[in-house]
Amino acid sequence: MHTIVCIKQIIDPEIPADQFKLDASTKRQVRGGLSLVISAYDQNALEVALQLREKVGGKVTALCLGESGAMGAIKTALGMAVDEGVLVSDPPLLESDPFGVVHILAKAIQKIGVPDLVLTGCVSGDTGDKVMGPLIAEELGLPCVTFVSKVEVKDGKALVRRIVEDGYELVEAAFPLVVSIISDDSNVPRYSKLKDIMVAAKKQVPTWKTADLGLDGERVGAGAARLQMRDVSIPERDSKCEILDGETPEERAERLALRLRELKVI
Amino acid sequence: MDFELTEEQRLFQETAQQVAEKEITPIAERVDESGQFPRETIAQLGELGFMGVAVPQEYGGAGADTVCYVLALEEISRACASHGVIMSVNNSLYCEPVLRFGMEEQKRRFLAPVASGKSMGCFCLSEPGAGSDAANQQTTARREGDWYVLNGTKNFITNGNEADYAIVFATVNKALKHKGICAFAVERGTPGFTVAHLEKKLGIRGSSCAQLTFDNCRVSAENLLGKEGEGFKIALATLDGGRIGIAAQAVGIARAALEASRDYSKQRIQFGKPIAANQAIQFMLADMATEIDAARLLTLNAALLKDRGLRHTKESSMAKLYASEVAMRASIKGVQIFGGYGYMMDYPAQRFMRDAKITEIYEGTSEVQRMVIASALLS
Repeated sequence: MHTIVCIKQIIDPEIPADQFKLDASTKRQVRGGLSLVISAYDQNALEVALQLREKVGGKVTALCLGESGAMGAIKTALGMAVDEGVLVSDPPLLESDPFGVVHILAKAIQKIGVPDLVLTGCVSGDTGDKVMGPLIAEELGLPCVTFVSKVEVKDGKALVRRIVEDGYELVEAAFPLVVSIISDDSNVPRYSKLKDIMVAAKKQVPTWKTADLGLDGERVGAGAARLQMRDVSIPERDSKCEILDGETPEERAERLALRLRELKVI
Repeated sequence: MDFELTEEQRLFQETAQQVAEKEITPIAERVDESGQFPRETIAQLGELGFMGVAVPQEYGGAGADTVCYVLALEEISRACASHGVIMSVNNSLYCEPVLRFGMEEQKRRFLAPVASGKSMGCFCLSEPGAGSDAANQQTTARREGDWYVLNGTKNFITNGNEADYAIVFATVNKALKHKGICAFAVERGTPGFTVAHLEKKLGIRGSSCAQLTFDNCRVSAENLLGKEGEGFKIALATLDGGRIGIAAQAVGIARAALEASRDYSKQRIQFGKPIAANQAIQFMLADMATEIDAARLLTLNAALLKDRGLRHTKESSMAKLYASEVAMRASIKGVQIFGGYGYMMDYPAQRFMRDAKITEIYEGTSEVQRMVIASALLS
């Protein structure tokens, strides 16, 4: 069982809000020296892949498209005991829209060798896009199951738990396939063991550029973008404090509940 | 000195930050208040490799260097100084001397279980009459054939209540003074080895501080670390490394005080503006940050020297002395910035101050560090 997990390096969503800045001209977040992490659902996808490997064997490869600093994300994945990593890093490629990104990732997956399973996070942690899984599947001509919390192998087929409103569906699918992963109690990302970090730090990771992938130049880069970000802004937050009175804790709790309902919070 | 972290050092720091933030910070206040040893999180740290950071993987450790250890310990201590000292004692005061002075068989028996986090170790040097005057050991080791019989009392032993293995210093002949001291690895459960008393402490309340007694405790000669009479040398060499750990712990506590103070000063409104707008507060924060950076650099310098196999006695003492005093100053300023709330148990500022104080005392008081530094300067 070979699983490729597509991961993205983003600004740590936990940074204080006042450190978050947008570049007015590029309409992108300003990274500066901010802490960078693997997008949250991609971390869940790594965990799903590692759990699957523990059960059925095989190997896990982390694939990342990003700036040269995204090697840090690959190393973090290797620290979680992922077997191999591949970084695709070439500045013009980073200007691609999601359709271009999918073309790049699909070409990289083909270069690695189409695996049994491709995992992506179900939502990108910075832009909120939910397209990677389905579009990669389309590009590779593979079936796709989205919003999945767990993947198992039964009788040579994938049995995946797909989260839906108020429950889940069990979906059977033939390998190879693409699955997008949602977070769940069953796939909380593991911490790296320090001895695995020692291995990860020394592991060689190839960095591929445009010329290595045989990309269709009309599909990647800024010029090929079919999506244009016209405007982006940081929402203004307004916080108000309201004190609710009441003689007893029960009375105060009741008033709080009624007020929250009035505000449509509950 | 090369200030750029290696890939593994960066990943160690990142992992320690994650574990500290998600697992330890949320329980730090409860650990302090209850005074309960945090078994679950310490076990988790052990599984991840934090209890034997610089021990080679063949002996159950993570196989990293002292710089990695220091970076990890700062992050853990920033979250909770009790976790910091438990980790520091296990790594620096137990694993290090067994690794450095133990024979192969001793490393298999006494190091691997502790470095892998499955068991815990402690270091028994202090006695009721042997604190700063560590050579004045009253615990005796009487040779009987292939055995030594230990008798005496050890004081203020961190991890003493939980440790499965203890390094115990005892003298075979008091007249020989420091040249009569030996170091033994003693297993918990050895008849005559008892936890006699647990101390109540001002800070680092989640770690145990025990009085251990040895009453005709028979230990095999195979448990002797190094040669007979080398115990004091082993103790001093161990403390050279241990002090780097305490320096890292102190930097972590100081950073916790600074970060809490900075955040509080931005949201505390007085006279219609955040108190951070006042130069008096800004100057305190600036001094804290500057001193913490200096303390960290001293600590990393001592760690680098140790990793390069160079003598680091003076530099370890300098790091420990300065970092511990920085932790004290920073945490006192933190209480001041928090004002009345800083004095209340509901806010963490007081905890940082209580936790910081011990770093000026254990593993050599500030006065002993000054003696060590002066001795190196004048020799």
